[in-house]
Amino acid sequence: MKARISISIALALLVFCAGYAALFIAPDEATMHLIQRIFYFHVPLWTAMTVVLSIACFSNIAWLVSRRPMWDLLGASSAEVGVLCCTGGLITGMLWGKPVWGIWWTWDPRLTSTFILWLLYISYLLLRELIEDPHRRATLSAVFGIFAYLDLPIVLLATTLWPRGQHPQPVLFGGPKSINHTMLSVFFLCMVSIVLVMILILADRYRLEKLRFEADELRVEIESREMDAQSAPPTRGIVGRGMAHE
Amino acid sequence: MSDFQFLFTAWMVVWAVFFVYEVSVAKRIGHVREEIERLKQQLHD
Amino acid sequence: MNGLRAAFTLFAKECRLEFRTRELLTATVVFSLIIIVFFNFAFDPTPAEARRFGPGLLWIAFFFAGSLMVNPSFAREQTNDTLDALRMAPVPSFAVLAAKILANLVFLSIAEAILVPVFSLFYNVSLVGILGRLALVLFLGTVGLVTTGTVFSAISAHARMRELLLPVLLLPFLTPLLIAAVSTTISLFGEAHELDRTWMIFLIGFDVVFLTTSWLLSDFLAEG
Repeated sequence: MKARISISIALALLVFCAGYAALFIAPDEATMHLIQRIFYFHVPLWTAMTVVLSIACFSNIAWLVSRRPMWDLLGASSAEVGVLCCTGGLITGMLWGKPVWGIWWTWDPRLTSTFILWLLYISYLLLRELIEDPHRRATLSAVFGIFAYLDLPIVLLATTLWPRGQHPQPVLFGGPKSINHTMLSVFFLCMVSIVLVMILILADRYRLEKLRFEADELRVEIESREMDAQSAPPTRGIVGRGMAHE
Repeated sequence: MSDFQFLFTAWMVVWAVFFVYEVSVAKRIGHVREEIERLKQQLHD
Repeated sequence: MNGLRAAFTLFAKECRLEFRTRELLTATVVFSLIIIVFFNFAFDPTPAEARRFGPGLLWIAFFFAGSLMVNPSFAREQTNDTLDALRMAPVPSFAVLAAKILANLVFLSIAEAILVPVFSLFYNVSLVGILGRLALVLFLGTVGLVTTGTVFSAISAHARMRELLLPVLLLPFLTPLLIAAVSTTISLFGEAHELDRTWMIFLIGFDVVFLTTSWLLSDFLAEG
């Protein structure tokens, strides 16, 4: 408990420092000026989402291979947190896009792919809600999760080949060769803080799933004991009474 | 609304959403823990 | 029983079942016709607009109708527990899946063969000189649709609200297939009547990737 509180406080401080750095220390960008600072939030959210959803896919595969409950619980938790990161990324993207491009949304490759990703993992969560048997739910949602994850690069490829495109070019990978050092440092600070926060949220969400699983196991044990008690053979007293009469 | 106010509000709103989610998870953990205690009690009775 | 023989036996069973009543086929054709007709009322397109948006309309009709058509693949095996019987039979699980994929491919292809000429008639789009290549594009798009549709039908068969769940699972997943199919068909309907090579490779790639994935995961689907 104490360790948990210390970690939370340390992370809160890190996030505060990252926020301060993004708003006040990082230099102004040449064309977009102040609004560009959403980048320090927007891109780390995508990175966090990629990390978390990769954990989800790995968990889906691990469940199918090993059948250990922890993988199913981790898969479900990381899908939910992944959807949270994705939602944050989409919202910050729109908040960046409106002042800069003048529009809230455009069907360019990255935005389209991300929106499809969001829909796929919402479907995954819906699927889990609608299957009642736990083993079946774990297996079938794992299969769907693997299909969904495999679809992502295909969606990105399709939307890239499709003639559209308003999203700015990548800054770090494939973009301009030089980026201001202060900007880079602030960016990595924000990246680390946001990814760590998402991992902390994931850890808590996983803990909730684990506790629910424990509660379900206890319920099953109580029910089986009740059934055993009901199907126990009749007592000697009743048989004895009947026989004594004869 | 100035650019800075817009930026700050955007930042705070998104963090608020994450904070609310985390609080909701913590609350649900609390409820499930109570449920587990109750079930353990029932099992030992 | 040999996997291939088992698959063909099960495929023949699916066809016999369907051609006895033709319910699925009729419903699919009628539903697609309704979408085609509604498009006309919703957009009131000029002939040029009909040619421009026609490919998109055609594929949307096939995707929507197809996603409803694949639903009974596994759902109807729940009555009389025939799905359990299939699981217990000494046949590879992919044989069962392949039989249903093949059956759905045949049924949807028949529906498309009826609908494409009707579409051509309603929207004055000429198919002269492109019919063979259009058939190829339709085949590749339909393979992708029925492969993933049948797998997702197996997944959603055990869920509540499966009739609604299946399209919700399937349609976002098929976005790249839709983009590829529509883009290929647009270039075919265009003035040059050419088949876009990049998109054709993409369609083939999509089909291969997801047929292979279905094969690899078929045992887990059977268990579910």
